[in-house]
Amino acid sequence: MASERYSFSLTTFSPSGKLVQIEYALAAVSAGAPSVGIKASNGVVLATENKHKSILYDEHSVNKVEMVTKHIGMIYSGMGPDYRLLVKQARKIAQQYLLVYQEPIPTAQLVQRVAMLMQEYTQSGGVRPFGVSLLICGWDNDKPYLFQCDPSGAYYAWKATAMGKNHINGKTFLEKRYSEDLELDDAVHTAILTLKEGFEGQMTADNIEVGICDANGFRRLHPSNVKDYLANIP
Amino acid sequence: MALAEVCGVNSYLDFNLPRNNDNFQGEIEAYSKNFSNNLNLAMPPFANPAENLSRFSTDENGRKLKINFDHGTTTLGFRYKGGVVLAVDSRATGGQFIGSQSMKKIVEINDYLLGTLAGGAADCVYWDRVLAKQCRMYELRNRERISVAAASKLMSNMVYNYKGMGLSMGMMIAGWDKRGPGLYYVDSEGTRTAGQVFSVGSGSVYAFGVLDSGYHWDLTDEEAYELGRRSIYHATHRDAYSGGIIRVYHMKSTGWVHISDEDCKDLHYKYQEDKEKLRNVRQ
Amino acid sequence: MSILAYNGGAIIAMKGKNCVAIAADRRFGVQAQTISCDFDKIFEMGPHLYLGLPGLATDTITVMERLRFRLNLYELKEDRKIHPKTFSSMISNLLYEKRFGPYFVEPIVAGLDPVTFEPFVCNMDLIGCPNEPEDFVVGGTCTEQLYGMCEVLYEPNLEPDDLFETVSQALVNACDRDAISGWGAIVYIIEKDKVTIRHLKTRMD
Repeated sequence: MASERYSFSLTTFSPSGKLVQIEYALAAVSAGAPSVGIKASNGVVLATENKHKSILYDEHSVNKVEMVTKHIGMIYSGMGPDYRLLVKQARKIAQQYLLVYQEPIPTAQLVQRVAMLMQEYTQSGGVRPFGVSLLICGWDNDKPYLFQCDPSGAYYAWKATAMGKNHINGKTFLEKRYSEDLELDDAVHTAILTLKEGFEGQMTADNIEVGICDANGFRRLHPSNVKDYLANIP
Repeated sequence: MALAEVCGVNSYLDFNLPRNNDNFQGEIEAYSKNFSNNLNLAMPPFANPAENLSRFSTDENGRKLKINFDHGTTTLGFRYKGGVVLAVDSRATGGQFIGSQSMKKIVEINDYLLGTLAGGAADCVYWDRVLAKQCRMYELRNRERISVAAASKLMSNMVYNYKGMGLSMGMMIAGWDKRGPGLYYVDSEGTRTAGQVFSVGSGSVYAFGVLDSGYHWDLTDEEAYELGRRSIYHATHRDAYSGGIIRVYHMKSTGWVHISDEDCKDLHYKYQEDKEKLRNVRQ
Repeated sequence: MSILAYNGGAIIAMKGKNCVAIAADRRFGVQAQTISCDFDKIFEMGPHLYLGLPGLATDTITVMERLRFRLNLYELKEDRKIHPKTFSSMISNLLYEKRFGPYFVEPIVAGLDPVTFEPFVCNMDLIGCPNEPEDFVVGGTCTEQLYGMCEVLYEPNLEPDDLFETVSQALVNACDRDAISGWGAIVYIIEKDKVTIRHLKTRMD
């Protein structure tokens, strides 16, 4: 069988001890659309750029901000199709957990399991690593959670972070602006400002997407809502 | 007759007629002869009952359709130099349900005859009652007490008539007659044997274990009672379908004597205490 | 005869005021024959979490071991104590996996919420249909008798000592009407800062 030729993992060590496939994947992420996540005292916000190359494009019909369960949501930087697959898997993981324990999955558990899935794609035969980094936010035990999941399967818990194009500038910006007792509204504001750093062209409610998560669960902000936030930005 | 007329009774009505024509007696007689003869039970309403009854006790797949009669029991009896000792438990069960903890499983047929019951409780109780009647009839007719051998044979013959129709009983008949102490085992299959040591019922295996190891002819009365009691106690402990009160009877030349009724629970903790003491002494 | 009644045994759990009780008989038998009088049917699954498994003795042990396996993994993976309710779902899930070849046990869970210390009791049939009443649950070979005793004796918000008395009376008297339960009994009273284990002196026939 021809496919047997590829039944080994494509992710193999280079003589210097690096897994270059993963580095390439991270490069794909760094080249992808920027996204930001900030944890506030009473919730979490996720925001990402959703630019369209043509004015003919029908905005707000394909989304980058996705809900996983009632209280967990995620965004990404990197390759869209890879992200769709991960969203599907994450939702499945969450429902399986609910089926077994009759209890919503804790955010940390979901992140761990999604990360495990991503790791599997770095060590299995016939597959390549995912070309995305995820930002997963959630609310459980009366606390907000924010995690980042990388193609390697590594995951990090953040107070605030930025990924994708210009992420270094984004992070520097956040380091300056972040404070522990931030309110959710202010966090949304800060997130949009962070995206604005290095945003090419005019930022509108049609080319960014925002999701928030608090005690009421996760939801994607309506463009009109985003517009209100944008109005407050100089 | 005026009153009768006022009451609407026809004058041609013969007041004696109803008694003669009353078919109440006849109806009972027609169904079974049980009223005039206790040995007769109503037959199931089809031909060849012994043969055909079994058709009704299995389902279409040939599996047994079981009626839960009161079943589990431990009874024992043995002859020794002082007469006969009988010991029984008092539990009645229907399936795993304990229906009673105070059954009398020793039936006092008369002053010189005792019967124990095991198996179907209703069967045992009924036939013991009939046996008591038969024995009394024998006494009245022959002006002497019936022998244990004869009494047990009566029982055996009575139940043999219904062999194969589902009677379930295993009993011991103990007594004292001209030949001295007597002990017979009789069951619904038709077995009838005289013997020294018997134990009957679901707990009999456990009772035998104790009984056989402790039995010899020259037991004193007290030793004999205790052996019987202990045997039943151990049976009640191991057998789920035996328990309650342990009753001990002694058949002497002067008739039977009721020795004791003791609760299994009290006995258990007494025996356990004795065991502890013994262990402490040995140490 | 039902496989569930092959070995015999009875378990009961009851809610009290800031406490729960779970109690079981100690018989292990094979049909009519009593093999031992020190068989455990109640297992500690956490500091305030107890599991009773009446039914077929071999499955009592297997199910307990499988649940302990899953529970250990859960607590390691999630780095937290399990909630009795979550544990019940776990059992339910385990049992339903074997829907067409079930384990012959009818689990009973008793415990306190690890955070609020709210009392919790739950029971299930052998394929995992959970039942979570406000007062008491029973299981085993003399459930009719146990329900009867509980309906009569139970009252809400009993203090630990009174709860012990109620549970013990219900169990012992129910077992006394069942040929294949009894032969000793063990009672666990679970409170916020202590668990009391008591052995009862019962009929041994």
